[in-house]
Amino acid sequence: MSDVDTIAVAKANTLPGMTSLPGEDPAMTATVVLGVIGADCHAVGNKILENVFAVAGFTVVNLGVMVSQDEFIDAAIETGAKAILVSSIYGHGEIDCAGFRDRCIERGLDDILLYAGGNLVIGKQDFAEVEAKFLAMGFDRVFPSTVDLSVPTSLLRQDLGRRAAFGGGK
Amino acid sequence: MELVNKKIDLKDFLTQRETVLQTWPTGGDVDLDEAVAFQLSLPESMRFSLALLNADRTGRTLCQPRAGVALVDEHIALLQGLEKCCDLLPTTIDAYTRLNRYEDAEAGITKSKEAGTSLLNGFPAVNHGLAECRRVVQSLTKPVQVRHGTPDARLLAEITLAAGFTAYEGGGISYNIPYAKKASLEKSLLDWQYCDRLVGLYEERGVRINREPFGPLSGTLVPPFVSHAIAIIEGLLALRQGVKSITLGYGQAGNMIQDIAAIRSLRELAHEYFQAEGFDDYELSTVFHQWMGGFPDNESMAFSVICWGSVVAALSGATKVIVKTPHEARGIPTMAANCQGIDATRQTLNMVREQVFPDSERLSREIALIKREVRAVLDKVYELGEGDVAVGTVRAFAAGVLDVPFAPAACNAGKMLPVRDNEGAVRIFQKGQVPLPDDVLAYHRDLIAERARAEGREPAFQMVVDDIYAISKSKLIGRPR
Repeated sequence: MSDVDTIAVAKANTLPGMTSLPGEDPAMTATVVLGVIGADCHAVGNKILENVFAVAGFTVVNLGVMVSQDEFIDAAIETGAKAILVSSIYGHGEIDCAGFRDRCIERGLDDILLYAGGNLVIGKQDFAEVEAKFLAMGFDRVFPSTVDLSVPTSLLRQDLGRRAAFGGGK
Repeated sequence: MELVNKKIDLKDFLTQRETVLQTWPTGGDVDLDEAVAFQLSLPESMRFSLALLNADRTGRTLCQPRAGVALVDEHIALLQGLEKCCDLLPTTIDAYTRLNRYEDAEAGITKSKEAGTSLLNGFPAVNHGLAECRRVVQSLTKPVQVRHGTPDARLLAEITLAAGFTAYEGGGISYNIPYAKKASLEKSLLDWQYCDRLVGLYEERGVRINREPFGPLSGTLVPPFVSHAIAIIEGLLALRQGVKSITLGYGQAGNMIQDIAAIRSLRELAHEYFQAEGFDDYELSTVFHQWMGGFPDNESMAFSVICWGSVVAALSGATKVIVKTPHEARGIPTMAANCQGIDATRQTLNMVREQVFPDSERLSREIALIKREVRAVLDKVYELGEGDVAVGTVRAFAAGVLDVPFAPAACNAGKMLPVRDNEGAVRIFQKGQVPLPDDVLAYHRDLIAERARAEGREPAFQMVVDDIYAISKSKLIGRPR
């Protein structure tokens, strides 16, 4: 299945009754790629995140569940996305996310924002340790599954704004 | 092969089997005659179907956790710890194996050895192979079931049943729609006919293997009639291949009356449909899953969710309850946390055991409602399949007649949207293409309108999102803040 098909599938899966509001600031209609990495089939949070980021004004390319690193990167290249938002709730996040930043650089996405969130490791571990682990892996922001979803949307707006101000974006 | 609900011809099965056993090197160790002999050598105390039958006859509710780690010795230690407090044992399979990604599972085993801790979310049984899986079974004294989420579970079934597991969870719908994105429904139904035929072959040779379709599906606001229709279809497909011990499941929705009505109607409807297709020599039991949605992070609050599920499991008369843990909000539990969940469950089950939930007009009405809904959907499935329930299932998903809320599968319409009513029961907010009678839909609409009035807002997707988060935020119903 091509990437375009994957995106079409994700859009077809969008729930009835979902609404998105136009972003107030045109800079904040930035495209972001969203998905659940690896062999993770948890679809519920993904559908909620799609709605939350869309309502916050972002253009969301939702790849749904079971997305490989290369599928995330292909979609980001194809759509000119400014950020990749990686979810994982099933415990294999540590294995699935290994080398993601290097792979982005290898594929020419030198300065894309990388966010990760969910239950990223096996078992109940101190979040500060999990965060440190994923920051060291090259992620820009790391969130626990319990985060209030207004936090990642406002941080993303802030991070994108900072990049635009410093001319970091491509 | 063409999908029809017909017993697979033995010659065709054996031809297919040669290919299945070659899909990973460990498949080569499986020999059916030797496997049957090993199964027959197991003590009765390890026979899953027998434990369920006895519980059903004595009106007990058995408790079973989920558990699985990457390495064999650690997995054995985990199950040996759990069997001290539970009635039935699991072996939960990791997510790579569920997608037949055995190379990834192998890497997970290696990395787990290096890390000194399991980096997989379950036990990679195919990679470990027959002898190691058998070592797991031989280290235990209680019946042990394979629990997973595998659309093509043929090789996993071959290896684990040969190893002495006496129950196998899953089905062509319930292990595709909630667990896969692009798996063909036709193929997963065919592949599960294979698993059921294999169980049927064991049955013919005197070995009873329990089969359990996965009841909760997406685990998120699934109305009882949706999961019942699918459970009954998978039961029918299993019986057709020669399965004799069937456990049908349901995931707790949260409203007591609806949940008790669900388990009672599930049993009655299953007998009705099984007997209508001419089956009479089977053992039927039920399983109630404690809340499958998001849990509170606070462990005391999590215990409350666990115990509420246990109350309803006992009052509904379910044969088995699948137990959650205080670590649920964070994912995979430790053995100690798992035992805590089981202890809390058992205490509740023991206290509720002798109590009988009174018959009432409310309960009868809910049971009658679920039955009408299931019959409306299954009538349409049979109609679409021109009498064949397997063919009808594929067409029903394509038409949105069968529609599981919040499921990842591309072949699932996802147009039907549920929401809670003012007492927390799950009702239909947007019907999609689900063929419910008009008066039933009007009843759902009225109940949702009652809630909307109470909350002073219109029913909308936000209400559904609020419901999805509600239990993790200490309430059943997602009221506006």
